[in-house]
Amino acid sequence: MAQEKMLTGCAAAARGAQLAEVEVVCSYPIRPYTAIMMELAKMVANGELNAEFIHGEGEHAQVSVVLGAAAAGARAFTGSSGVGVTYAMEVYSPMSGGRYPVQMAIADRSLDPPGDFGSEHTDAMSTRGQGWILGWASSPQEILDNTLIAYRVGEDKRVMLPQMTCQDGYFLSHIADKVSVPDISQVREFLPPFKAHNPLSLTCPVSHGPQIRPDQGAPMDAQRAATFFDVPKVIEEATADFNRIFKRNYDPFLEKYKTEDADIAFLIQGAHANTCRKVVDALRKQGVKAGMARPRWIIPWPTHQIAEALGHVKALGVVETSTCYGGSMRGGNLAPEVRASLYDLDERPLVTSFMAGLGGETIWPEEFHHMAKVLTQMIKDKRASQYSYWVGFEG
Amino acid sequence: MAKVNEITVWVRGVLQDKEGRDVMNAFGQALAKEGKFTQMFDNYEDLPDRVLVPLRKYVRYSDAELEHKYLYTNDHPEIVVIMEPTIVKGMNILKGMPDGGILFVNTNRPADYILKFIPNADVLGAVATVDCFGISGVQTVDFSGSEGGVDAAGLGAGIAAPMVGAMARITNLVKKETLAGIVKDVSAMERGYNEVKFQKLKKFHTMSSQHGG
Amino acid sequence: MAKKLPEYGSVNVPKDREVPFGAITPAPVKTQDLFMTSNWRVVRPVIDHEKCTRCLTCYMACPDACWVYNEKDDKMDWIAGFCKGCQICIHDCPVNAISAVPELDFEDGVVRLEKPF
Repeated sequence: MAQEKMLTGCAAAARGAQLAEVEVVCSYPIRPYTAIMMELAKMVANGELNAEFIHGEGEHAQVSVVLGAAAAGARAFTGSSGVGVTYAMEVYSPMSGGRYPVQMAIADRSLDPPGDFGSEHTDAMSTRGQGWILGWASSPQEILDNTLIAYRVGEDKRVMLPQMTCQDGYFLSHIADKVSVPDISQVREFLPPFKAHNPLSLTCPVSHGPQIRPDQGAPMDAQRAATFFDVPKVIEEATADFNRIFKRNYDPFLEKYKTEDADIAFLIQGAHANTCRKVVDALRKQGVKAGMARPRWIIPWPTHQIAEALGHVKALGVVETSTCYGGSMRGGNLAPEVRASLYDLDERPLVTSFMAGLGGETIWPEEFHHMAKVLTQMIKDKRASQYSYWVGFEG
Repeated sequence: MAKVNEITVWVRGVLQDKEGRDVMNAFGQALAKEGKFTQMFDNYEDLPDRVLVPLRKYVRYSDAELEHKYLYTNDHPEIVVIMEPTIVKGMNILKGMPDGGILFVNTNRPADYILKFIPNADVLGAVATVDCFGISGVQTVDFSGSEGGVDAAGLGAGIAAPMVGAMARITNLVKKETLAGIVKDVSAMERGYNEVKFQKLKKFHTMSSQHGG
Repeated sequence: MAKKLPEYGSVNVPKDREVPFGAITPAPVKTQDLFMTSNWRVVRPVIDHEKCTRCLTCYMACPDACWVYNEKDDKMDWIAGFCKGCQICIHDCPVNAISAVPELDFEDGVVRLEKPF
């Protein structure tokens, strides 16, 4: 029987890991994700989780430890925030290339300088392209659910890839909300035990991570690229199964809110999508046909899904809480990918991007209304006058 | 959209962090039990790792589902709780308070003396003082439940208990029976409920009709 | 048919949100008025000038350099704006000339801040 509890995002992520019966956890403190490890440590100490709890000497050690654990066939879990994510950068590609499906729970934090605790998505964004499945949750419930879905997808025989389940630091990690915590029997029905592919073994010796020749490099890359053609199907199957067992209603890739007949739309991920939804309602009351699309997984990028869901929209604003300095739109990370997804349509929306919520600040409803005005003006002008708008810094 | 009410709890860093979280969690959970939609959270914007620094904890509650969940601070607190009285000297604790708000102070000094330190005290509807240190001699220091974790040490074993009792009595927002089911030191909570000293001030008539002595 | 390409946009930091370049800040040489930590104080160190032997132990012990020897008047001056009330000077004074008095007993001495720092 599922239990209703008030849990913060950190507590929900820890519960998700506990329900997934992770076997190895490696910790290192950094705010705001620290509480995930605090909760897991409590659970291990109280006997509620039978896992090996190792304290790494840094985030690089954290990710290396879980790589070793997964190589030996254990379901491993770790996490980090902000500059901790970038400290472990060296290990992300070996993890993905060695096909170790560990999970990293990321509670976003701005990258230095200086030590701003506030949430920005750039920390996990900067690792994309290295071959981890990557997605953002917008509520503590979704964090718990994503933890389970990500393990199911990552450990699938056709996938075997590591995953990052991300949440906004402070807004989700520290503020409690209602979470329905499923029963372990439901979870076991959804998530089979981890069966590693050729784990390190005393009886069947294998070598992991040997040196390869340059002519073997391209086939290795191609092997991993081919997997990503299959991952979307696995995500669809896993989400459908999840919805059935746990009575939820997740779209596998893109939450679509009132986009079917929308003239203007926002594309936004993470916690601030909740504010955006309320503003869409308010705009609709004012007679503006607004909509919102929220990507749940951005690696693999839902190219077709975005084109299908948003191709008819007249003006699309990508709300970015991450930075890509010097990028093509002089803004964030998502908008160039959104434009690429829409490029091949005969009729394309006008696309611009809004930099908002940076530094962990709240995105006020007034700011969303301001963005809606800009999008409406774009439709009148029949062009996007700017690639990106830095909301609050427009002079 | 139903009105969203805000409670801000001021504590001293590290030494009173657990007590502040206890006030926020105990009162917030009681509000939730009595049917309100609540959010309770501490914040790290105030850089709480420093001993003795003034820190805030927040509670937000409403009769309807909270529409805007991701507001970082309480800009218009109707109720301000001070767990260490010297804080009134150095911080503008009533900043943003609407007319008729209530101030709770953990002190054994007379309320008039405390009010002397607050320049904008005329916005208050009432001030309540309760001697939490005298009632419960305990100030727990525990990191359980900090950083967004789940509290495993139990709520209300120290000075938080008489304070939430006093808050229940003056604001009439929760019943002390509800609190008795949440806090560990029920007798301290009851003493706080009974021994709180309450003083009506100029803007008393604009206070929410729920509140009263 | 060439379309007018979008502009990159502009980024202007409003005056009230300006930050130093690269977050590089001047370091205080003697004193500064940015981080007045007097509101951390719960107790205040009060010195009995009769008992004080001018040994300067408090001056050396204070982590915030809040005890200064006033040569003209030959006594120790206490700097109210930064003292955090850590009580190290009270503990270290070899003749117990300094005692801890609740800060609330005094009407002034604390720099009022709008927001916590």
